Amino acid sequence: MNASRTNPFSTRFTRPGRIAPLDGGGEEVDAAALLVRLAAVGGAAAIIGPHGSGKTTLLGHLADAIEATGVTVMRVRSRGRWGATNVLFALVRAGRAATVCVDSWECLGPVARNTLPIVARMLGCGLLVTMHLQSRLPVLARCRTTAALLERICMTLPGHDAWYGTVITPDDVEAAFARHRGDIRESLYELYDTFELRSRTVEMRRS
Amino acid sequence: MRLPRFFAKKRGHRRTGSREWGVVGDGLFHGILLAAGLFFGGLLISGVAAPEWRINHDYVESRCTILAKGLAKTAVQDPSGAVSTTWQPRLRVRYTAGGRVYEAWSQGTSAEATTDRTTALARLSRWILGSQTACWYDPTAPETVVLERGYNWWLWLLALLLPGALVVIGGSGLVRVLRAWGKSEERRAASAGLAEFLDPLMHPAPTAPGHPAVPNCDDLVNSPGTILRYRLPIESPESWTLVGFGLFAVLWNAVLLVLAVGAGLDLLGGKIDWWLFVLLVPFLGVGIGGVVLFMRNLFLATVVGPTQVEISDHPLRPGRRYDVLLAQGGAGTFRRLQMFLELEEQATFRQGTDTRTEQVVVWRSLVTDCRDAAPAPNARFESWSVMEIPPDAMHSFSSAHNAVRWRLVVRGTTDRCPDFTRVFPVVVFPAEVMPAPIAEQRRAQTEMAG
Amino acid sequence: MSDAQDRPVVSPRIDVQFDRPQRRYQAGDRVVVRYTIDECQGDRIHAVEQSMLWYTEGKGEEDLGVHMFRRVADPAMMPPRAAVGDFFAHLPRSPLSYEGLIVKVRWCVRVRVFFEGARDYVSEHVFEVGDVPPARVVHMRST
Repeated sequence: MNASRTNPFSTRFTRPGRIAPLDGGGEEVDAAALLVRLAAVGGAAAIIGPHGSGKTTLLGHLADAIEATGVTVMRVRSRGRWGATNVLFALVRAGRAATVCVDSWECLGPVARNTLPIVARMLGCGLLVTMHLQSRLPVLARCRTTAALLERICMTLPGHDAWYGTVITPDDVEAAFARHRGDIRESLYELYDTFELRSRTVEMRRS
Repeated sequence: MRLPRFFAKKRGHRRTGSREWGVVGDGLFHGILLAAGLFFGGLLISGVAAPEWRINHDYVESRCTILAKGLAKTAVQDPSGAVSTTWQPRLRVRYTAGGRVYEAWSQGTSAEATTDRTTALARLSRWILGSQTACWYDPTAPETVVLERGYNWWLWLLALLLPGALVVIGGSGLVRVLRAWGKSEERRAASAGLAEFLDPLMHPAPTAPGHPAVPNCDDLVNSPGTILRYRLPIESPESWTLVGFGLFAVLWNAVLLVLAVGAGLDLLGGKIDWWLFVLLVPFLGVGIGGVVLFMRNLFLATVVGPTQVEISDHPLRPGRRYDVLLAQGGAGTFRRLQMFLELEEQATFRQGTDTRTEQVVVWRSLVTDCRDAAPAPNARFESWSVMEIPPDAMHSFSSAHNAVRWRLVVRGTTDRCPDFTRVFPVVVFPAEVMPAPIAEQRRAQTEMAG
Repeated sequence: MSDAQDRPVVSPRIDVQFDRPQRRYQAGDRVVVRYTIDECQGDRIHAVEQSMLWYTEGKGEEDLGVHMFRRVADPAMMPPRAAVGDFFAHLPRSPLSYEGLIVKVRWCVRVRVFFEGARDYVSEHVFEVGDVPPARVVHMRST
C-alpha cells in the first residue's frame, strides 16, 4: 500500500485564510496602509475584482488586522435570500465604531446595496465588502491577478522545494493562468489535477 | 430551508460574532412565522371555516315558505379605485323555530356569491315563490336561517394550507432553536435525532450503524425484488421529471388560457388591453415550450420504458460476488444495453459566490453488455450477471462536503431515441473485521515472512 | 536578564511514536501512541489535548470526524515534570484511509499543547488504516 501523498494544491492549503493576500506582483499586501486608507474614506469601502482574484482572502486578512487593533469585527456572507437581513442584524449588533465585513456584496439586491451603507453610517459602523464590479462605495483595493502572483502562491505551498520545477513547472503555472483567464481559484484547481496525475504517474513508474 | 444567520462562520477555525444573538435572531424569525401562521389561520378558520361547520352541525332543521326573493349587492373599492361588485341570491322565508314563527332573509353561502348579475339571477330563478322547502336555523339566534348546507372544500384547503405551512416552518424552527439553546456543538450533534427530523437539510446524510462515515442504506433495501432479493431505487426517477414537466405545462397553460379568454372577451366587448396582449406572446411561447418538453419526455419514457435492477444482497462487501438482474421495458430494439459498476468521488467547495461540485469516476467495471436487446410485447428484456466487488475496494463514504459513492450505471442506445443513462446507487460496507487475536496472528506471520 | 516578551517565539518539539513503526493498521486494531514534548523554552504548559481523528483532503471543503479526544490538565502530568505521555484507542470499522483523486481520507493523531498566555501548538502525525489502493481517473466532470 502506498504512503499518504499530500497534494499541496488541496483546499486545506489554498482556501482563504491559509495564504497571505498578495498583490498582482506577488508581493504581500500592506494591510496597515489599507486600513489607513479605509479610515480616510470614512470607514466604508469595497474590495473589487473578478472571480478567483483573492477578494475573500484579502477581506479575511483585513478583518484580522482590524481585530488586532482592538476593534470589533462582524463577518457576514451575504448569500441567499436572507443576506440583507444578515447584514442588517450584523450592523445593529456590531454597534458604534465596529466594522462589518461582508463577502459577496453583489448577492444583495439593489435596494439593500443602496440602503445598508446609509444604515451603517447612521449607526457609526464601518463597512468593508467584496464585489465584482464597482458600486457607490469607494474602492479600497482592486484585486488583479497575474501569472507572477500565481507563481508566488505556488511558492508558499507546502513542500514546494520538492515539487516545484519537477512535478509542476513554471510553464504549467503560466498555462493554467492563461487557460482560466486570470482566475486564480480555477488555476489552482487545474494545478491540483496536474499534480495529482503526474505524481501518480511517477509512482507507477517507480513501482 | 436555509436559515437566516446573523453571522457567517469565518473560513478557518474561528467564529466571530455572537452565537447567542444569532440564535435569538433565528428564534425571532421563526417566532414571527409561527405567529403569522396562527393569526391568519385563526382569521380564516373563525371567519369562514368555523361558521360553515356550525351550519352543518349545530343548525336545526325546519320547513319554510318562500315569501320573496332578491339579490344582495356588495360593492368593494380596491386601492386603485376600481370597484368590484358581487351579487348574492337571498330569499325571504317564513318558518317556525322553538314554537314561534319567524320571517327573515336567508343567509347566503360564499359559494353562491358571484360577480356576474346574470348568473346570480339564474341561481335565484330556481327558487319558486310560495313553495315550501327545508331550512336550517341557528338555535342560538333563530332569526338566522339558511336554505342550503354543505362544505366549500376549497376554502377549507385555503384555511389550512397556507397558514399551516407557516405554522410548521415557524414552529419547527422555534423548537430547534429552543432545543439548541445553551448547548455545545458536540451535545447538539449527539442529540441530533429530532433535529434531523425537523430540518434534514441542515444535517449530513445518516450513517450506517456501527460504520462511521458510511452512508445508511435503509432506503436501498426497503423494496423487495421480483426475482432477486432487492430491487434498487433509481437515483433520479424520470417519472418525477415527467410529472414535473406535466404539472408545469398544465398549470402554465391553464393560466394562459384564462388570460387569453379574458383578453378575447374584452376584445369582443370592444375593449383592448394592450399590456395583456403584449404579455400573452412570451407566455404563449413558454406554454408551448412546456408542452413540447412534456411530450418529448413522455415519448422517451414510453419508448425507452422502465429500467429495473435487482440484486441478490445488500449492502455489498469487498471480495464478494453478487447476482444482478437487469430488466428493461419499452418498445423497439435497444442496439446496446450496458451496465457498469462505478466508483465515483464527489467534492464540494464554497467560496465567495460560487459553489463548486466536482465528480470523478475512479473505477469502472463492465457487468453486463447486451446487443440488440428487444423486450417482448408486454414483457421486459432480462439479463443476468454476476458482479464482484474487488477485495481491496474502498467502502462507500459520505461526509458533509465529500463523498465516495458506488453505483450501477445502465447505458442504453436505441435507434429512435437519444442514448439514455440511469443510475442505481449501492452501498459498499468495509470488509468485515476479523476478531483481533486472529488478525494479530496473521499480521505477525506476514511481517515475519516479510 | 531579558524580558520574556523580548524572546522570539519558538515552537516546542513534539515527538510522536506509534506502537507500529510502519504506522499501518487495520480497522478494529488498537493504536498506541507515545509522545514527548521538548524545547518549551521555559514556557509553562497548562494543558495537553490528545486526539485521534480522520479528515478529508482534496478539492472539497475539509471534513473531519473525531474518534478519540482527551484533555489533560493535571499539573503533575505537564512538562517539564512529565514530558512524556501516551494514549491509545481502538479503530472503528470505518472510514479507511483512502488516496482518492479529489477526495482523500486520512487518519491522524494530534497532540496540542496550550501555553500560559493563550498560545498553543499542534503536532499532527498521519497513519494508515486499511489496504485500499490509490484511485485513478476514469472520467471527470464538474459543475
